[in-house]
Order: sequence, then C-alpha cells, then structure tokens
Amino acid sequence: MLMKVRPILGVKSSRLKSLRRQLLDAPYELCTQKSYWITDYFKSNTHLFQKKSVIRDIVEKVHYRSYKKSLFSLAKGQELDQKKIAINHKLGQFYAKNYHEHLTSSLQVTYAKALAHTLENMELKVYPDELIVGNCSSKRIGAPVHTDLSGVLLVPELADLTTRKVNPIEMSSQQKEQLEDEIFPFWFNKSVLFHTSQTFDDPALLNDMLSGGYFILTQIAGISHLTPNYQKVIEVGFLGIKQEIKTEIEKLKKLEQSDENVTKLQFLKSLVISTDAAIDYGVRWSKKLSELAMVEKDEKRKKELCELAEMFKTIPAKPAESFHQALQSMMITHVIVHQESFQHGVSFGRLDQFLYSYYKKDIESGKIDDEKVVELIGCFLGKAAELLPLFFERATEYFSGLSSASGITLGGSTPDSDDAVNELSYLILSAYDQMRLRQPNIHVRVNENTSRDFLNYSFEILKKGGGIPAFFNDPKIITSLINQNYSSEDAHAYSVVGCSEWGVPSKSFPAAGAGFINLAFALNMTLGTYRGDFLQDRRGNKISDSTKSIEDVLQLFELNLKELLDVAVTGNNCIESVHANYRPTPFLSAIVEGPIQKAKDLNAGGSIYNSSGFQAVGLADVANSLMAIQQVVFTQKKLTLSEFVAVIDSNFKDYDSLRSYILNRVPKYGQDNLEVDQFSQKVSEIYSRLVSELTHQRGGRYLPGFWTMTTHQGFGKRTAALPSGRLHGECLSNGISPTLGSEKYGPTAALNSASNVDSDLAGNGMILNQKVDKQNISGERGNVILEGLLRGHFNGGGIQVQFNILDQDTLLKARKNPDLYKDLVVRISGYSAYFNDLTEDMKDELILRNTHHV
Amino acid sequence: MSRTLANIFDIQRFSIHDGQGIRTTVFFKGCSLNCQWCQNPESKAPKSQLYFDQAKCQDCKSCIGSCPSGAISNGAGKSDVDFNMCNDCGQCVESCPNLAFELLGKSYTEDELLDSCLKDQSFYESSGGGVTLSGGEAVLQSEFLQGFLPKLKEAGVHILLETAGNYPFRLLSPLLPYISHIYIDMKFYSEDKHLKYTGSSNQLILENLGKLVEMDFPLTVRVPGINGINTDIDENEKIASHLNSLGISEVELLKYNSLWESKISRIDTAQKQLNISNNEDYLHELKKCYSKYDIRA
Repeated sequence: MLMKVRPILGVKSSRLKSLRRQLLDAPYELCTQKSYWITDYFKSNTHLFQKKSVIRDIVEKVHYRSYKKSLFSLAKGQELDQKKIAINHKLGQFYAKNYHEHLTSSLQVTYAKALAHTLENMELKVYPDELIVGNCSSKRIGAPVHTDLSGVLLVPELADLTTRKVNPIEMSSQQKEQLEDEIFPFWFNKSVLFHTSQTFDDPALLNDMLSGGYFILTQIAGISHLTPNYQKVIEVGFLGIKQEIKTEIEKLKKLEQSDENVTKLQFLKSLVISTDAAIDYGVRWSKKLSELAMVEKDEKRKKELCELAEMFKTIPAKPAESFHQALQSMMITHVIVHQESFQHGVSFGRLDQFLYSYYKKDIESGKIDDEKVVELIGCFLGKAAELLPLFFERATEYFSGLSSASGITLGGSTPDSDDAVNELSYLILSAYDQMRLRQPNIHVRVNENTSRDFLNYSFEILKKGGGIPAFFNDPKIITSLINQNYSSEDAHAYSVVGCSEWGVPSKSFPAAGAGFINLAFALNMTLGTYRGDFLQDRRGNKISDSTKSIEDVLQLFELNLKELLDVAVTGNNCIESVHANYRPTPFLSAIVEGPIQKAKDLNAGGSIYNSSGFQAVGLADVANSLMAIQQVVFTQKKLTLSEFVAVIDSNFKDYDSLRSYILNRVPKYGQDNLEVDQFSQKVSEIYSRLVSELTHQRGGRYLPGFWTMTTHQGFGKRTAALPSGRLHGECLSNGISPTLGSEKYGPTAALNSASNVDSDLAGNGMILNQKVDKQNISGERGNVILEGLLRGHFNGGGIQVQFNILDQDTLLKARKNPDLYKDLVVRISGYSAYFNDLTEDMKDELILRNTHHV
Repeated sequence: MSRTLANIFDIQRFSIHDGQGIRTTVFFKGCSLNCQWCQNPESKAPKSQLYFDQAKCQDCKSCIGSCPSGAISNGAGKSDVDFNMCNDCGQCVESCPNLAFELLGKSYTEDELLDSCLKDQSFYESSGGGVTLSGGEAVLQSEFLQGFLPKLKEAGVHILLETAGNYPFRLLSPLLPYISHIYIDMKFYSEDKHLKYTGSSNQLILENLGKLVEMDFPLTVRVPGINGINTDIDENEKIASHLNSLGISEVELLKYNSLWESKISRIDTAQKQLNISNNEDYLHELKKCYSKYDIRA
C-alpha cells in the first residue's frame, strides 16, 4: 500500500497533552458502581430467584460472620481448616435447596436486567477536552470491584486499601460502608468465589490453590481475555445485532418446545435485553451530552459536546458513519463490557484494518485530516488507560503493574497476503507516542512483507522507552493457529489478546490467562525439596537409588508435572463450570460470534473457537537446574544425586564454593549452549504436550503458554532452592527469558536459546524480554541493529520479542524520586506499566535485568 | 582436514561498533607490534597465557594445590599469582569456582571456529553484518586463515579485517579474495616515533597500505588518538599528507580507551601504566588538520 503521509513524530496536540496530564495526575480509586447497582437490582427483585425464608436469613447472617473470619486468616497466609471448609460446603448445599436461581435459566435474564439497571443508573462522566466519551468506572482512574465474581476477597483488606504500600487505592467511607454492610454480605454466598469452593470435591484443593506456590488460577476473578466483535458493532449497530438475535428466536420458536429449546429461548431473550440496554444507554448519553452542552460557556467546547450528543442519537444503535463515530461506538461498547465482566485482557483487535475504510472515507471527503485522526485516537487511547484491575494484596506480587492489558494489534497481512500496514498503523503509533500511558498495549505483527519504513517508525517510538510496541512473528503464529484447527482465513486474521496470546477477533474465546504453573515446583517435587503441604494426601514421584541419569530425572519430573497440572486443571475446570452455571455474560455473548447461533452463553462454550490458557513459569530455572544436575552429578561426579539434593535442601548452607561453581561454570539457558538448550527444549516440549492433552469445560483444549506477568516473583518467594544455584525465595525467570545475570554472551545468544524453546504446540504465546541499552541503538544505525535482532530472531524461529530500551541510570533515579518520574513507563511482561506502580521487588528486577551493550 | 589450529583469545558476539550490522569479532592472539597503549595487552604474546583477576577471588583456596609449579600463594585473604613461576598450564582455571583464572588463548580447528562464527548467521543476514577478524594481529595466523576463510566465505558471511598492517604482504595477499573490507591503523608517519612507541618500524605498514590502495581494495584508515603521543598537529600533518598522496579522502579518528590499565596487573606483561588522559579536546584541531588535506575525519 502506498503511503500518502508519514506522520512526523513529536507533533504535539495540546488537547492530548492536557488529557495525558489529567490521567497522570488522577488518583487511583475504588469503583463500586457496578457492585452497587447490581446489588440494588438483585435486592429489589429477590422474589425472582429465591423464596422467602426466615431461617435462611439467620443462617446467612451467622455464616457471613464466620466466612469473614476465614477470609481474614487467609489474608494472613493461614490455611483454611478442613472443618470450616466442610461446614461451608454443607451450608452451600442448604442454600442451593433454598434458591430457584441455580435450577432455571432465568439467571441469564436476571443478570441481563441487572446490567440494564446499571446502565440506566450509573453516573455518566464527561471530562475536559475529551472527544471520545464513556466512563468504565465512576472514577477518573477506577478499579471496579466485582462482587459477583471474587470481590469478597477484599473484605480483610478494605481497612488498609487506601494506605497499603503497593498500589494504594482510594475509597470513601461511604463506599466502604456500602461494601461492608450491604454488598459483601449479600454476595458472599452467591459469588463465583463461593460457588467455586462448593464445586471442589477435594477440600485440600482450595488450600493448594490459595497457597500461591504451586499454581495460580486467575479466573475466579473473571475470565474476560478476548477480542469482542467491535467491528460488527460499528458496522451494523446494536439494532443490527438485535435483528440477528430475533431471527434466531423466530427460528427456534418454530421448533418443538423441548426443555432445551426453552432454555435457548431464555438465553436469547437475555441477549435482546442486553442489546436493548446498550441502545438505551446511547440515548442516555445523548441526553446527558445535550444537557452539558446547554450549560457549557466555552463556545468551542459547547460545539464539541453538541456534536457528541448528535452522534449518540444514532450510535451505538445504528452503524457508525464516520471515523469519529466508529471510535466512539467502540469505546461505549467497551464501557458496557466492563459493567459486566472483569477488566482483564478485553482487547480491541486490528484497529488499523477495520477502521481503515472509515478513515479513508473521511480523509477523502476532507472531513478530517491526519492531525485530527491522531487527536481522536489519542482520546481513545486515553480512555483505555482509565481502567485498573483490582488486585488484592497478595495478587499484586503476581500481577504487579496494574495492567488490564487491552491489546491493539497493527500490521500483519491482508487476506491477499500483502503487507497490511496502512496510514492508520502509523497514526495509531503516533497517537500512542503523544499519550504514552501504561495502556493499552500495542502489538505489531511482522512478516517478510512488513515495510521496513513502518518497522523503523516503530523503533523510533520504542526508543523513547515504554516497551511499546511488541513484535509478533506472523508465519509462526499463523501456523500454530492452523495446528489448533483454526481455518486458514481465520488464522491469518489473528490479533493479540491482552499481553501476548493470539486469538481470532470476535471468533475465539481464548480465556488466555486462566492459570500459571510453577515448573520449578514440579522439579522440587521430583527432588523432594519442596516445603508446604501440597500433595499431603498424594505422593510425588521422588528420585531414588534407581535414578541413574538425567533422563530418569526428567521422567519423574514429567510425572510430577502431570500431577501438578491435573490438580490445577481440576481447579480451573471447577471455576469455569461455575462461570457457565452461575455467572452468564449475556452482553459479551451478544458481541462475540457463536453464542447467538448456538444459543449458548460464552461462558458455557458459545463461541466458535474455545480454549483456556495455562502458562509455564520458571522455564530457564528448570533448564539450568537440569544442566547443573547433569554436570555436578552425572558427568563430573562431584557429588552423588542424594548428596547434591541434601545440599540444595539446606539452601546451599556451607556450600558457597559449589554454588559459585554452578553459577559460574555450568552453562545457562540464554548462552546459546546446545547442551542446556536441549533441556529447555525438552521441558517446554513436555509441558506443551501435557497441557495440550487436557480439555476444558467449554469444549476446547488447554493451550500452553510461556509468559509470566509477575508470577515469577510471587512463585519465586515461595519456591525452595534449586539445583541451578538459585536460593530459596529468589525470583524465577520471566517468560522465556534467561535468568537474571546469565546472558553473558549478549542478546543474539539469548535470542538463539529462546528460538530453541519448543513452540510448535505453544498456542498461548510466549514472551521474551530483551533489555537494550539506549546508547547501542541510537539513530538510523540503531534501527538496523533492532531490525537485525528482530528479524534474525524471527527467521530463527522466534515467536515474540519485546525490547525494553532504558538506561539503568533513569531507573535508579526513578526509584529514588518517584514523584519526578510519574510518567516513566516500563515493559514488564506482555504489558507495560508505570515504574512507580511496581512492587519493590519488581523494580529491583528491572534494574537487574541484563542490559546488553558493548 | 584442518592443517593448523588458530590461537584465539576471545570471540565477541553482538559486536556492533566495528563495521556494519551485527557482527562477531574474533580476536586472534599474537601481534608483531608492541604498542605501549595497547587496549588488549593480553593479545600480544602468540602463546596462551594465564589471566588472574584477584577481585573475583573469594578466598576458597581451591586453587592453591592445583598449581604444579607452586606459582599460587595465599596471602591477605586472597590468592596471588607469581607470574615468573607460572608456566601457563591452566590447571588452576578448572579449580576456581569463581572464574578468577582464565587461560587466554584457546586452540580452534577450522570447523570449531566456523561453528562459533555461524551461530549468529541469521543475525548477520538480517542486519547486513558478518564476522570481523581482529586481534592481536589476525594476519600473523595467515596459514590457518587460508584454510578457514574460504569456508566462512562459502557460508555466505561478510568478512572484515582489522589490522595493524605490520607483516610481509605475502601473508595478507592469499586472504584478500575472501575479505570484503579492511580497517587498517595508522599510528604514526614518523618511523622513529613508531619504533619508539610500538617497538617496530612502520615501513611494512606503509608498504602494505600502498599496495592495498594500488589494488583499489575497499579500506578504512583509522588513526587511534593517544593523548600526548600522536595527537600533535605536526605528526598528523605528516599522516594526512601521506594519505593524501595515496588519494585517501577519509580517516576515522579513534578515541583513546584506558580500560586496559586495569588489566595489566592480571597478566604477565611488560606493559606499564601510562596514565594517558581521556581528554578529547585535540579532536577538533585534528579534524581541521585533515580537512586541509581534503580528508574527512
């Protein structure tokens, strides 16, 4: 495609500058809006789903008191005692008998109406200067609490939420009272959290899940992680979608009224309610904007508000007719999604592709120019930065950086296999350059046709810091999707969901962030060096006198990993079945392909492509450990296996020299050493194979991924010493990156090691962090080096790479004077974050992460 | 079959400052000059030699017994090496868990070196880089290179030579068909100064440079600026005038790097601390000087 204009970097819009300032200065606040309104709806319509019962009311009161106590002891890191779990279970059965809701599909309708109720009542906020409106939360930067999911976990932390050390969140005393007195007591025995614990057969599973050392299951907080069909909303509007639903209803009505069909009709009815709610919501916005315009004194702003009010007379009900309308329609839909679902990984897809015709039409008619386009996109990007995920304190160790990981994908190829880069691809990056907030995430798809000019443009953006954009290798990813039974056409249309996972926009429900598995723990099971109660009733497969080779160790490791995965998958399947049975998402189901045709909720398997993602954590640590065992025990015979295990078990106490020997003289993953890379290859192959064999609740397969967010920190703290010389409590490696300090042969060696990681089955993505010293990549020469690293890695089989371009100095200064560096954005895992929002451990890690320079 | 072995003291990957693109630089051991300011004092001797970095010693004493000639002693909480007694056998290297010892100079067969050089081939291709032969003086190992370079070239790798130029041309000429570009140093024009500071006359260097120019071989002349030794206008006028007479229109002025001074206590070398300043004020004047001779610096 011929580029008409290449936007110049650094042209500053004063509007965007002002928006950026507003967003950087805004405090982080708790948003209780959704919780408040759905509670309000449920409470005033209790008759719809439960019988009156005085006994139950009393039982609930007493139960809540004891439930709260359990949450407090959990927060202190204590295990739940088995008796309490059993009593909880019994009470759950009691409630089940006393509710209608769980037995009928009216729950879908109830939740759809609760959403409509929220949309009718939630506060509509318009901030100065913005040209795209829609507030996901009641605060400028808000962390919505989802009491219907797992918000109740916040109970023990409410008192300290505003003062906690990491990521304090402001909250009013009124909000606190509402939560404590009205909201939590109502939801504690109806939420996904509660039902999940009910669904676990083995009470020990709950403790294993909550211990945080073996695996992490995230979906208790919500599933999300998908790219809705925003394109369809723009193109046909909610009226169009409603029409489609109605057609299906008519078809069903003509069939026999079996139980199944009645259920289906109920479900479709809930979709109609949701789409109607979206349409009405647009009307509300139109009125609100007119009112604001009426009282606005500034003529220019008045005009802008009038234009927006006018726009909302048609969208999102009807198709968007301009570029501005398209962005606005998409954003208002994004807002509605977040009144229903948890704010994690809800992504926008290939914006430069599906907005291009709107752009082209408006440019050609002279309605807008590129400068205006950048301004509109900038306003849009700013909106996406208004959301914060709400993590309870321990979760911040695992997901530091407060990213809700909304992804935007650029470039790639057109259906005719041409370079898909167009003017909008540049303009979106240019708008990002002016905003530079912690999100959304921007991802660039790269293939052999991707224009060098666009890559260079991306590098210039990247070189200013912030780690955006990240790069994805088209041919490898498309092949991987086709291997997962995606049609070739769909595979070519993939976009990145959230951090690094792939999905086909609107057609897949990848539930990509479902779980994280600590590989190092499986190794500790093998060596018998783990602490804690995991497997108290089960038996790990420990090494013995008959363990004679590293292959024997690997065999046991595989058995243990399988056991660990089985436990984690059992847990995740329970969580997913709870979502399917107790927490339908009728609105999201209306804007993803599949649920309408199948008349089945997204959470129950309605989408066309279904999968759940499980990530492996600590790949490099395990590879290095196997290498250390091989060298110390089997080739150099310095110690016997049991002697070596005893040393590791003592956390290398009095074995400094041996530890130094291992750290310095045993090859490490990341050094392009075939012997150790063969272990990372083998371990990744075992993991991917085991995960791919597992099936989940929605009728798809589990997909293995290799990215960590900051779970490598959280797991690390709870993981015993390893043969690699890593001491108890030290962090594990992130993504498929080498361990800290082992990249002594530079980035090309590290990239080569990474391309040896088995990626054939790794359908949920992998992340490679490369920190590059600023001075090495300055100027056009630097672009040649960056392109060289990128293409060299991709040609060698790499999947993804992201560069953190920083100088150590800035990070050190930022740690000392946080106030001066409010806007310092750094790359963490598959997302970026403000440096100030990180845990202290994560800050240290970033400072330590290898910098390559000569 | 490999006829000879190469002696190499370092292979540096992701080398991005000498030559175009991403490169691997191979440092050949042994040099025919003895520059007082040599950045790599360990590169001079042709044979392998011991390197000992006392700062890395953790006083575990593993090395003491490992030395057959008793060159290692243990004093104030650190090991120490008496280089006069050391015969560079390298036994201590394996004994140390902290990498305080290193035997500089490893033997490579053609195939071993080829393997190392091709590890980053995909990055050479994606960045227009390749392999840089450096040292020491790579050309002194011409016999090895005559077998090795055809294989490297055959694999499609761009080859660049960094050389001091001090050897008979017959060592270089058989290598030229495989080399795409040469970086050659010009430290002095005056023979007496050259002799004084590098221990050798510069006649061969000037001769070789002349021959390369005559062949129209792609090359870059580099002048390393050693403050107070060759940064005076007088000497540079002579260099410039000579280059001008050869029709050379561009030189690269290299900045002085004093990092080597910390290395000399770790190896057996006669090189002494020079305390040369890193001041680069002279650069401006030198640029003017070269431009008088129509040479871009």
